[in-house]
Amino acid sequence: MILGPYASLEFALVLLQVGATLVLVMLAAVLTERAASAVALFRQRRKDHRYDALVRRALDGDDAAVRALVASPKRHRIFLAVQLITPLIEDRDPSRIARTREIADALSLVPVADRFLRSLWWWRRALALRALGLTQVRGRTASIINALDDPHPDVRAAALDALTDLRDPASLQAIVVRLHDATLHRGRRAAALEAFGRECEPFLLELAAVDPTHRTNYARALALCGSDQSRPTLCAWAGDANPQVRAAAFEALAHVGLDPDAARLAIDALDRDEPAVRLMAARALGGWTGAGDAVPSLVRRLDDAWVVAVRAAESLRSIRPAGLAALTVCAGRADLAGLLARQMLWEEQQNAD
Amino acid sequence: MLINVIVGIIAWSLLVTAYFVLWNVAQMLMAPMAALFLTRHVRRHTRRARALVGDLASPPLVSIVVPAHNEEAIIVDSVRALLALEYEASEIVVVNDGSIDGTLSVLQDTFQLAAAPVAFVQPLVSAPVRAIYRSISDTRLVVVDKDPGGCKGDASNAGINAASGTLVLVMDADTVLEPDSLSRAVLPFLEDPVVVAVGGHIAITNGCKIEHGRITAVKLPRSWLACFQIIEYMRAFMLFRLACAHLNGVVLISGAFGLFRRDAVIAAGGYDKSAIGEDMDLTVRLQQHFRARGEPIRIAFDPHPLAWTQAPEELPSLRGQRLRWRGGLLQVLWRHRRMIGNPRYGIVGLGVLPYVAFFEGLGPLLEVSGYVLAGGAALMGVLDWWYFWVLLGVSTSFGTAVTLLAVLLSDVATRRYMRGSDLARLILVVVLENVGYRQMTAWWGCRGSARLLTGKPKWGVMKRRAFKSKTM
Repeated sequence: MILGPYASLEFALVLLQVGATLVLVMLAAVLTERAASAVALFRQRRKDHRYDALVRRALDGDDAAVRALVASPKRHRIFLAVQLITPLIEDRDPSRIARTREIADALSLVPVADRFLRSLWWWRRALALRALGLTQVRGRTASIINALDDPHPDVRAAALDALTDLRDPASLQAIVVRLHDATLHRGRRAAALEAFGRECEPFLLELAAVDPTHRTNYARALALCGSDQSRPTLCAWAGDANPQVRAAAFEALAHVGLDPDAARLAIDALDRDEPAVRLMAARALGGWTGAGDAVPSLVRRLDDAWVVAVRAAESLRSIRPAGLAALTVCAGRADLAGLLARQMLWEEQQNAD
Repeated sequence: MLINVIVGIIAWSLLVTAYFVLWNVAQMLMAPMAALFLTRHVRRHTRRARALVGDLASPPLVSIVVPAHNEEAIIVDSVRALLALEYEASEIVVVNDGSIDGTLSVLQDTFQLAAAPVAFVQPLVSAPVRAIYRSISDTRLVVVDKDPGGCKGDASNAGINAASGTLVLVMDADTVLEPDSLSRAVLPFLEDPVVVAVGGHIAITNGCKIEHGRITAVKLPRSWLACFQIIEYMRAFMLFRLACAHLNGVVLISGAFGLFRRDAVIAAGGYDKSAIGEDMDLTVRLQQHFRARGEPIRIAFDPHPLAWTQAPEELPSLRGQRLRWRGGLLQVLWRHRRMIGNPRYGIVGLGVLPYVAFFEGLGPLLEVSGYVLAGGAALMGVLDWWYFWVLLGVSTSFGTAVTLLAVLLSDVATRRYMRGSDLARLILVVVLENVGYRQMTAWWGCRGSARLLTGKPKWGVMKRRAFKSKTM
């Protein structure tokens, strides 16, 4: 480079030409992309201008507007589908969904979705699934359930989203049996269960009875959607040999609420069990003022491991008036229990103010 | 003797040439990876997919940790903007790191802070906490007042200690967040249990219009220095970091915005007070911690701009920043040298860190030595000027092409600077960057290395402006 042509000058000149060509190609790519996006934006605005009012009127029940939409060019169908369906992500008003579905039927959008479902491109399959879910096309529940086994993870995620939006009881079993399927996004599994709420409970209890290996998962699921009906099962699991099952059972009991038997189990667990179980037992006892005196056991946990102590303090704060009185007594202490007690009392005071 | 010198010069210039060729090849190889990552990200993160956070009855609690040292001018607007974020399950932990200005008092006056007897464990080391305050007007705001720790890492550790969320967002006090940044950043944690951290694309606020702590209009700044940095950020985020994300080998989550699983940060030991580049040090330690144990780990990256930060517009501030970055980079590479080339650390050990060590660690030294050699050879009368100009042209054209590629990816990902005048200026900046700016930053890179080696860590302070409803 410095002392002259130890390498060929011709080669350097070729490189220079390559470099200059690359610059021109990249410049052309930037300009083309910008031009393309400007054109796309212009077309989008033109279509917005043309269809916005029509879509609004159609959703308000104007049949003439629906007929005008049906008469629109076929190439505008996807645009119209996006205009109609996207607002349903935020607006889950059943009448709006039903009206959108009617318009989608009139526009023959369901066959378009069917075609997309068979597409080789995963994002098309995902798009179709989400559209079917948002518009609650229950005639396609089976197709959506089948998509839970799609080879692409994002299509499986879209299928779960679709089932969450669809809320078709026919899909419930398919969702519950996939509770342990780690190939499905965990947040989406939880969202699907939450969407059905207590409707899931009988299926969960039925499956749990024949599948003891996955008790932890069933207990965690019941923590999302369980009710009084699950309490006896959860109480039985609170004595399971596996501490993870015991902790999950108390977590679920915190959700479904205690009865005197469950409270007794939680109080016993506070004094005897492992930290993760004590943590959940303390949580379950939050607000419990019934049989069995939870307060002394919770007070003993105020100088436990940090997470247990914090949970015990919060539960004491929620037990009125006995818990607050116990905290007041502890507030004079110089240890962790005293610190937590002072914090809880201070927060209580702030809330009262 | 002269022969030996000439042979040495030839060998060195060969090394410089090899560096230059390899750098361009590496950038070109990153482009398809970055494009793949970007395309997949855009297709995955549809509005419905992003709505998952809203589907959950109890989304994860995020504690936003804001270390603040003498941030009186901006802290109130920052906190207000954070309180107005779309993501509701959040608490804001401002750490007043021994400020000597009115940082604490403006917070006290504005948000009605009351000293609260808050108990918390301190799994991470930090300077002593003087007091903890909670806001009466908004209970989500907690202020930790502590002795000066001398660095952001120390304040961040104190904030993480006081945080009650399962996720902690560590940011700078002057970072402006997009309203949906938390919802976006939380998503990978909900999808994949092995995600321990999420970083995001950081954009530059200079030139933008900011109202109530929100970006309302995006424009290129008047300052050429800021424009050069915009181009640099595009290159860094749109090529290297996207390629790293594609390979699951992210080694840097910017200090301006990093969302972490709190338990993972604590397991990795939190921020190291002695680290100059505390953000990269923590990211690499997270990779080391999990990979050394054979535990799966993913550090996710969102190419959408999640946060905006101020770029220095004065040379002394920029120089200080670059000297600090350089010192931080070399320190991290030295501390984690056993990871480099070690198959135990997967793609991080075998691909990403060797790349960083060679291209970023040695890069400025090789670049500057190339200029010095050329100057020396010219003085000795042995420089073939024709050849020199051709190679300079090759270097500049390849560099320009790579930067234009980054601009293209940035356009696709973020749709910023879309006005015609901005584009024209951007292209001009891409070309002009090769004349002076790159050489200057390379020189600062050498000075930063020298400072680290000679133990004179004086990194300078960046001047910040309040971003209250004005165009910066």
